[in-house]
Parts: sequence; structure tokens; C-alpha cells
Amino acid sequence: MNNNRGSYGSYQQGYGGSSSPTIKNPSTQFEKGPEFNDRDRLNDLLATEKWLTDGFNVFVRETSHQDLYNDVLHILNETHHACRDVFNLMFEKGWYSVHPEQPSHIADHYQKYSGHQNQFPSQSTSSYNQYQTGVGQHPRDY
Amino acid sequence: MYRNQYSQQQRMNQPPRVLSTKDDAYLTDALSWELLAAKKAHSFASQCSDQQVKHQAEQLCELHQQHYNILLNHLSTNQQDYENQTYPHFHN
Repeated sequence: MNNNRGSYGSYQQGYGGSSSPTIKNPSTQFEKGPEFNDRDRLNDLLATEKWLTDGFNVFVRETSHQDLYNDVLHILNETHHACRDVFNLMFEKGWYSVHPEQPSHIADHYQKYSGHQNQFPSQSTSSYNQYQTGVGQHPRDY
Repeated sequence: MYRNQYSQQQRMNQPPRVLSTKDDAYLTDALSWELLAAKKAHSFASQCSDQQVKHQAEQLCELHQQHYNILLNHLSTNQQDYENQTYPHFHN
């Protein structure tokens, strides 16, 4: 849906406050008042999609037979994609911003958690797993 | 008694293609969710001034209608399968 849009425009690298840059597009104009505006509508649609993924996540887990399981998982997946499209559009419109973590913090965490890999109980280094989409009992990959 | 009947059958490695009461309850719930979401998206699309937001809302409306049809299909095909008695393990 929103995948092949052109350029997102240049990032605004505003440094608000200490050391946390903000990544966002210039904000698209919308009515700023008590009325329900386009940004509110998009936000509400996003909230709806998020709510649906919660519902379908429970549904797919509770299904009995395989055909129903497949279809509900398919719907769950597509609803996640719809969520993502709405989120991307909000970002594109400049109505959502991202705050990157400091690289030094990320590096510290990588250091710490790669150290925990030696706690892995299984010695197997195989990359095969039976739950990959398209393997074994999971006939459809999305 | 029920157990004896059961043990004479071949063991099932997963449930047969039968809608459970729970499946039916979730299906009818989910159909309502999808219809509501489709109506909301359509209503929003008609109110939007921004063309991209409008387009996105229209896409969502279509998606939820598709999902509605996929779900509804499970209520109709299940009925047919019952009539054809395609479930060897099904006991009344």
C-alpha cells in the first residue's frame, strides 16, 4: 500500500534537549482544534488495527481445525501489515517521530547479551527449525 | 463407554475439520469486528480532506471486507461438510 512511495523528504535532525536527536518528517498541515481531524482519523484507524491484532492473536491460538487456523493466521498477518502501513503513513506525514538510542548504550547491551549466549542449554548449532514458515505442518507462508 | 468407542477408532493426530463451539463463538465475534472496522474506515474515508489518508482508509475498508468474507466462508463450508459426513471420527 504505502510501500513504493517516493522519497520521504529530508530528515529533520532536530536536537531537542540533551543528546537525543529526533527523526521525523516535516509535519503535514491538519486542523488544530476541537474537531476530529485527519490526524485523529488516522490515529483512530491505527488503534483499531492494533486492537484487531490482539483479538486475532487470541483467536488463532484458540482455533481447533487446521483450515480455520490457517485462515485466521493469514488474517492476523495481514492486519499486522495494515497496522504497519498506517504507522508508516503517520511517519510519512510527520505525525510520528523516532528517537534513536545512543549507539554506546546499544553497544553495551550487545556486549552484555552476547555474553549470555554461553548460557544456552542446547549444543545444537543447526539453523533448521520446524516452525519456519513453509516447513512441515505449516503449509502457508505469508 | 465413550472411551471404549473412542479407542476402537484410529487415533487422531489433530482435531478433524469440525467447527467447535468455541470456533463458532470467535468467528461470530470476529465477523462483528471486521464489519465495524470496514464501516469505520469507509466513514473516515468520506470525511478526510487529505488524499493519502483517504486512500489508506479506503484500502482498510476493502481489507476488512475481504477478511469478513474469509471468515464467513468457514460458517458455510462447515455446514456442507457436516451434511456430506466427511468426518470419520465424528460422533453425535
